Amino acid sequence: MKRLRYFIQRTILNMIQSPLLSSATIGTIGVALMLLAFFTLIVLNVQNLTRQWSREIQITVYLEQVPSTAKLQQWQEQIKQHPSVEHVTYTSQAEAFELFRKRLGRNDDLLDGLLPEILPASFELVLTPESRSELGAEKLVQELKKNAAFSGFRYGQDWLKRYDAFIFLLKLTGVLAGGFLIFATLFIISNTIKLTIYARRDELEIMTLIGATPMFIKIPFLAEGALQGIIGALLALGGCHALYYFFLKRGLSALLTTTAAGNITFLPFSIQASVILLGFVLGICGSALPLRKFVRV
Amino acid sequence: MSMIQMCRIAKIYANGVPALYDIDLQIPAGEFAYITGSSGAGKSTLLRLLYCADRPTRGQILMGKRNITRLSARKIAFLRRQIGFVFQDFKLLQNRTVIENVALPLQVQGVSIKETRARAFELLRYVGLEYKVQRKPLELSGGEQQRVAIARAMIVRPKLLLADEPTGNLDYNLAQEIMEMFSAINKMGTTVLVATHDTEIMRLLPRRTIALENGHIISDTRPETDTDQLQETA
Ligand SMILES: Nc1ncnc2c1ncn2[C@@H]1O[C@H](COP(=O)(O)OP(=O)(O)OP(=O)(O)O)[C@@H](O)[C@H]1O
Ligand SMILES: [Mg+2]
Repeated sequence: MKRLRYFIQRTILNMIQSPLLSSATIGTIGVALMLLAFFTLIVLNVQNLTRQWSREIQITVYLEQVPSTAKLQQWQEQIKQHPSVEHVTYTSQAEAFELFRKRLGRNDDLLDGLLPEILPASFELVLTPESRSELGAEKLVQELKKNAAFSGFRYGQDWLKRYDAFIFLLKLTGVLAGGFLIFATLFIISNTIKLTIYARRDELEIMTLIGATPMFIKIPFLAEGALQGIIGALLALGGCHALYYFFLKRGLSALLTTTAAGNITFLPFSIQASVILLGFVLGICGSALPLRKFVRV
Repeated sequence: MSMIQMCRIAKIYANGVPALYDIDLQIPAGEFAYITGSSGAGKSTLLRLLYCADRPTRGQILMGKRNITRLSARKIAFLRRQIGFVFQDFKLLQNRTVIENVALPLQVQGVSIKETRARAFELLRYVGLEYKVQRKPLELSGGEQQRVAIARAMIVRPKLLLADEPTGNLDYNLAQEIMEMFSAINKMGTTVLVATHDTEIMRLLPRRTIALENGHIISDTRPETDTDQLQETA
């Protein structure tokens, strides 16, 4: 108990007594984590956006003949069972004809005198997110081709190729920039903490001389690091939210349509918690490493 | 019983500098001894081995009945709680008050705040600084800072007091004052070991003198009459 009080007191006093050092640490952690959090925010939102786009990846399966209701239901069930199909709808000949007429708009008189039977009935398949790629679509089509009644398939191969390339590029930049950012964050934070501990090496030396055990010396420093990490992370989230609000919400909505801007979301709670946890861990580890060097007997 | 026993001690630093060589030394409990020699002779190194700031390259060191040659960091911490230190540069915490500095060794040991404060105040009165307990070390003179350091060393009632050039930064009168304090501490039963090259001091308070040169003991002498009074000639 007495120990605990000493540690808490020492931690707070240390931070108050060297405001410059601790605000430097908090500031560095705050800025570094803010960049990281904002980057994550952008990556998550781009991912979100592509997921919405990728719902457009559909496979249309044309039917040679209009099946009986029983057959139709059986096939629809079969397709639905397939693991890479998220959703399937049936478009009858009449519906297809109506759709076509709507598309023609004012020129719909072109269809006058034609029967709906000129257009084939079809299934529209929406793929599960994992299968939304050229390969996924092709695999599914190969499966479906086993059914002879399915006479034709259309799935925008060219578009899919470009979509695949885009996703790959997005992932690559995400991983590269994210990796670089994490590395830079670690480097900057650990060096700042190292400097602040270096500035207090006399204190560490004196404490060892008068017989303080290594743990006794380290705990207030570790607690200080943890506290600074958490404060820095909270500031980072605040800063990130400000950036999000003023740049993305306000700034972009002036450029884009309101709905597009409305789809931009802030970091989910789990990520916010991770940022705080990261600050905590960085604060402790960043302190523990240089302490190991300076608290030597 | 001997307080310190060094047996065939050698210390060679990582860069290959042999700082001590073939040291055999016995310091009985309750003794007051000087370790002397020119700069670079190995005085500080010898003291560092005694408080386990360095390990000897060869040989064994006994303190009391305990072999302290190879201790874990935790054990070293507990060993140091029985040793008082006084250094040339005082080694006080600049951001804490005088009384906090003096109280630190007991605080580290988990002694109650009340008892710690009482003992710290008592010792500060003993060294004549009871009116400056709330000052910071930098607001004190060199002699006063050294007296704070001595009070801090004594608060644990050490069996052994190690001093490395304790008067190096002080003028003659202050040095004399400090040596008188050491003498008084010694009379209360603490073994005192002072590393110094200040011959004035040794003439003032003649005691056993162990002279080092290039890491060897070249002489180990005791004054003919062990005077308790300080010599008048200076
Ligand atoms: N950490 C170290 N690494 C390498 N060599 C060292 C180290 N400390 C001391 N030495 C060397 O060991 C020898 C003895 O040094 P020591 O400090 O014990 O001398 P000293 O008698 O205390 O001298 P001074 O009177 O100047 O304080 C010197 O040659 C010194 O250069
Ligand atoms: Mg020295």
